[in-house]
Amino acid sequence: MTALHDLTIAEAAPLLKAKKLSPVELTASYLSRIEAFDGQLNAFIRVLPEQAMAAARKAEGEIMRGDYKGPLHGVPIGLKDIYNTKGIPTTGHSALYKDHVPEEDATTTRLLAEAGTILLGKLSTWEFAIGGTSFDLPWPPAKNPWNLAHDPAGSSSGSGAAIAAGLAMGSMGTDTGGSIRGPAAWCGISGLKPTYGLVSRRGILPLSFSLDHGGPMCWTSEDCALMMEVLAQHDPLDPGSADVAKPDFAGSRQKDVKGLRIGVVRHFFESDAETDPEIKAGIEAALVTFRELGCAVTDVTLSPLSAYGDAAALISRSEAFAFHEETLMATPELYGELARQRIMMGAFIRACDYVNALRERGRLIAEIASVFESVDVLICPTMPGVAPKLGDLGNMMSRSRPSFTRVFNLTGSPALSVCSGFSTAGLPLNMQIVGRPFQDDLVLRVGSAFEKATSYRDLRPAQWAQQALAAE
Amino acid sequence: MSETISTEAFQVLLDRAGIRVKPEHMEEMRSAFMLLQAMRERVRKPRGYDAEPAHIFAPMGR
Repeated sequence: MTALHDLTIAEAAPLLKAKKLSPVELTASYLSRIEAFDGQLNAFIRVLPEQAMAAARKAEGEIMRGDYKGPLHGVPIGLKDIYNTKGIPTTGHSALYKDHVPEEDATTTRLLAEAGTILLGKLSTWEFAIGGTSFDLPWPPAKNPWNLAHDPAGSSSGSGAAIAAGLAMGSMGTDTGGSIRGPAAWCGISGLKPTYGLVSRRGILPLSFSLDHGGPMCWTSEDCALMMEVLAQHDPLDPGSADVAKPDFAGSRQKDVKGLRIGVVRHFFESDAETDPEIKAGIEAALVTFRELGCAVTDVTLSPLSAYGDAAALISRSEAFAFHEETLMATPELYGELARQRIMMGAFIRACDYVNALRERGRLIAEIASVFESVDVLICPTMPGVAPKLGDLGNMMSRSRPSFTRVFNLTGSPALSVCSGFSTAGLPLNMQIVGRPFQDDLVLRVGSAFEKATSYRDLRPAQWAQQALAAE
Repeated sequence: MSETISTEAFQVLLDRAGIRVKPEHMEEMRSAFMLLQAMRERVRKPRGYDAEPAHIFAPMGR
């Protein structure tokens, strides 16, 4: 029998609905695992056992009365600690916000609560979603469940680590330059950066207003789709929120991918950026799988990776500095070193450079729209390598870091990271699937089809599985 | 524009921006500044009048 912490949301939901699985039992199981293992993993900043158990009892009562709310009802989740939670500290993993207690929930926090999810706690992040893997903050950095000596990536580090380790069924991350997809890649899970405007940013600590996205992180793309069914709501309180018809997440789960046209942005990983041969081999193997599923695969050409990266970096640093300038100047000692240095760089970007970056952004958005006239999704790696050792990322501000993920923050496109296999060292490989704006359902359908056609979702981090077995 | 900046010239920029940097972090920040300069140069290119900022984007089908 599948252990409770190995159930996906899609597997647990029918059991919860049929009253064969108790939300109380499920939540208690997760809290027990968090207590046993999170001391090594540091995925959580704050665990909420009493609140979680109360919510689980409430959910159980509702389901027993026949008031079933949907597939997230009774599902234990975690929130990156930049999602506002009413009455619960929301720290941004920073000393500056250590005592920050919001007076209201983020819109997404509220939507997930209304759907009946159980909030297990708040999850680690890079400081203010920018600071990198830091050791000078009030809480330690999260570690990678596949190997505790390795980095889980960021900034949604705890969100990725918690899912991979089986400490939550779903989590929320945010993504300004790859902060959902990077941790999803290095932690071997599924993470969706939705189309800009599809998921509300209201009540999420901002980093870069025009590049920030909130989105789900789960063991499977199918589970991400179940979360998106709840999260994709127009929010009049978010000026960037799009008032569009919700993508057909439920309907898309029933369809296959036969006949879809896949464009491979090969120059990104063959010539624009140095990429680990194992990552490239994983992509090639995935393309074979997609051909077997009936997809047509062709190479496509975009502007060089650096064109997207330059514009995205100038915009994100400018907007981050605009938000943080006052507190950074007044109380620099309350920021960690990495966050302070990274945010400070925004001080050197002139207004004309910012505007020119926005003009370049317009050109690149048009370019990618043009490419999408001949293909349905794009594929390239999420990250150029597997997870490095914890602390090896360093600052890296002074080195050029071509990013496969920033491209799609700039264009606002929906972009999903999935696990595309494992390295010889046993660390997850990765692949990114990108779609047209507001075709998030199609992107998730492609990710789900790949996961079901391969066996990578059957493999959990071994050391955690062994420890769990020992504990049970 | 010069691809490098002296420590002294960079210090002037820091002072003007009101930014304090620890001596041990100066070289990293100076190097990062030069990377930023290169980005600025690459983004600056000839454009027509109609190359307006992408304040919003109009996705297909919207």
